[in-house]
Amino acid sequence: MTIALTRRAALACAVAFAAVPAVAQDTWPTGPVHVFVGFPAGSSPDILARIITDPLSQRLGQPVVIENRPGAGGVIGVQQMLVSAGDGHTFGTTINGPLTTAQRLMDDTGFDVAEDIAPVTLIATSPLVLAVSSDSDFTDVDSFVAAAGAEPEALTFGSVGQGSGAHLTAELFAAEAGVSMLHIPFTSYAEVTTSIMGGEIDSGFMAPSAALPHVEAGSMRMLGITSAEPFAQAPDVPVLAGQAGLPDDFRAELWNAFIAPADTDPAVIERLNTEINEILADPAVQEQLLAIGWQAAPGSPADLEERIATDTAMWGAVIDRVEAQ
Amino acid sequence: MTTWEGLLFGLGFALQPEVLVYCLLGVVLGTFVGVLPGIGAMAAISLLLPITFYITPEAALIMLAGVYYGAQYGGAVASILLRLPGTPQSAVTTLDGYPMARQGRAGVALFTAMASSFAGSVFGIVVLVLLAGWLSRAATAFGAADYAAMMFLGLVAASTIGASRPAKGFAMVTLGLLLGCVGTDVNSGVQRFTFGQTELLDGINLVALAMGLFGVAEVISNVRDPDRQGVAERLGLRSLMPRREDLRRMGWPILRGSAMGSFFGALPGTGSTLSSFLSYSMERRVARQPERFGNGAIEGVAGPESANNSAAITAFAPTLTLGIPGDPIMALMLGALVIHGVQPGPMMLEARPEMFWGLVASFGIGNLLLLILNLPLIGIWVAMLRIPFHLMYPAILVFLCLGVYSVRGLSFDIVAVAMIGLAGYLLTLARFSPALLLLGFVLGPLIETNLRRAFLISRGDPMVFFERPIAAGFVLASIALLLLSLWQAWRRRAGAGDEVSSG
Repeated sequence: MTIALTRRAALACAVAFAAVPAVAQDTWPTGPVHVFVGFPAGSSPDILARIITDPLSQRLGQPVVIENRPGAGGVIGVQQMLVSAGDGHTFGTTINGPLTTAQRLMDDTGFDVAEDIAPVTLIATSPLVLAVSSDSDFTDVDSFVAAAGAEPEALTFGSVGQGSGAHLTAELFAAEAGVSMLHIPFTSYAEVTTSIMGGEIDSGFMAPSAALPHVEAGSMRMLGITSAEPFAQAPDVPVLAGQAGLPDDFRAELWNAFIAPADTDPAVIERLNTEINEILADPAVQEQLLAIGWQAAPGSPADLEERIATDTAMWGAVIDRVEAQ
Repeated sequence: MTTWEGLLFGLGFALQPEVLVYCLLGVVLGTFVGVLPGIGAMAAISLLLPITFYITPEAALIMLAGVYYGAQYGGAVASILLRLPGTPQSAVTTLDGYPMARQGRAGVALFTAMASSFAGSVFGIVVLVLLAGWLSRAATAFGAADYAAMMFLGLVAASTIGASRPAKGFAMVTLGLLLGCVGTDVNSGVQRFTFGQTELLDGINLVALAMGLFGVAEVISNVRDPDRQGVAERLGLRSLMPRREDLRRMGWPILRGSAMGSFFGALPGTGSTLSSFLSYSMERRVARQPERFGNGAIEGVAGPESANNSAAITAFAPTLTLGIPGDPIMALMLGALVIHGVQPGPMMLEARPEMFWGLVASFGIGNLLLLILNLPLIGIWVAMLRIPFHLMYPAILVFLCLGVYSVRGLSFDIVAVAMIGLAGYLLTLARFSPALLLLGFVLGPLIETNLRRAFLISRGDPMVFFERPIAAGFVLASIALLLLSLWQAWRRRAGAGDEVSSG
């Protein structure tokens, strides 16, 4: 343990020294950098943030401190980032919800995505898998959709909450497949998993890393995945697009992004974008991300801005449909 | 691997010097965060998480688990000495632990808490080792209807604890249920009683509520009433040893509390706070003289303290065998494993036997360390009561605020704890029981969410509560208990009437 620590410290020092010329040219950062995360320590978004901020701290030559401000589906993290903003050293990582659907689902998030938030870069994306109990009769998505279409709300699906990615993805799936399913909201994948395995609910769109251990143990089956390509963590699961009446461009992904308060110096955003993109290009980092179910998705600030716009429109249409029911 | 082979293998692993050091570190830290009001295992484990990157996942888990169950030991200390629960789980221990201290029996109360904690943990470990597989199946066998029916039984069984008058008790449970409604409704997504405050979307913070009602309210009471300051003068060393009578009274409550805690601990989402409340209400119900409760009944300390400790152990059953965390702290510990690239799940037991058996063995070692550590500490804790009031209580308020802030890092929660504290003080002045409010708050959301979920899944058919055997059993038990209470009340009234007519 002591050896590993020393090696790390030595590495950190080496990187810090190597970074000296860059820091000399550009005075930023002059102190510790704070990254707000809207989920508790140890959660998937938190671990993802730590995978990025660990090397980021070495590259910036300053400590990068994770500030966990959990609550309201990640919205509190973004709010608290904005409250603490102003010193040029405050940033945040967030899941897609607070930037795309929260404005629709909450009375008042206290911020305007376009006005208050400067996109830095997308970090990673994650598809969802359609999971059922291995005791069920469903072997593929065709048999599932056929059973779901027998009568309205013939099948139930669980999610991690009203308006969550898991909920909206299932609604999108049902609408595209021309069926209607009954939504049973839970608060965590752990609850959804127990309920599926106990035979209480029929299905659920789940994060691959939440479903995989139970698939390996033989108690769950994955019928399809919502990404455009098969996912490296679960290569055998067929993509849903083009199957069972779903359109060829059917796609639903969750993502995590690095964001800044709107008044952040553009040069700082540029620097952060470059550093994080280089971190994401490291195969070791990609592997760490994949192990917790995320695929590295580097890009420019403009790419993230576009992603926010497309997803806000796409999920907005799904929310319209759910509210009209 | 058979159970014995597994245990021996685990002991071999957990007794390695390095692992042993982390275990000791965990339980010592756990004891201290447990003692400090407001600062709990959650805060300590969050802070330790980054450190665990540098040690093996097994050692990390053993250390974090040590903090988790160690905090259950420490929680009772402040409950007994100051009527300030160190953790929400030990809030119910204030009901009889503090009166014992007032009677000059603080040492006996602390000894009882430690001995019951140890006995409860040992019971939990035995259950975990022998029944881990069965417990994890029970976790998936319980559906929404079963949870709703079980929580209803809990509400019926516990709704009279610590109340001077039934009507006042009923009012407090109802207020607790209403406070539990605050936040986003799981079933509909509607935001209830949030008044536009994002901080209230996930409900009122349990730590803020428990610490406000018990902690801040108690500090205000002491400022107002200098008479209550200092229990220490009445404490001699002779008071540390329990009498034979005390030992006799502890046995059954510990056994019942442990069994109850082991059961509730293994069910995801029910938790150790509930098991200590239910154990208390059970002891009060089975007691020959229920009026002793609230006035320093040793059973009221022994039962709940054994229950929350056995629950803290069996809570690892679904976590380790299914990878399904039963509470946020368990989720945090699994997160620590994920950081190390260990995927928690049903395969972990086979893939990494040292993880399961090493941890189970470390429970045994850790609890032994806790007992050895805590028995001599009793004297020190009691001596702490000699710290002058004007130094101790401001310090307690600082720790309370730190603890509440550490849960979410929001200053909103500090304002909340102050306001709840003021309200809690007014309630105690009017002789309302804050324990019942807390019980309603914990049970309310569980009952509501599961009841509505059960109806959603059954498409509105109430027969689901009678067709599922588990649910039906709990419904019948609730009805029986209600009838029993009514009959007892009728008997008492009839009896009182006889006395009046004969006198």
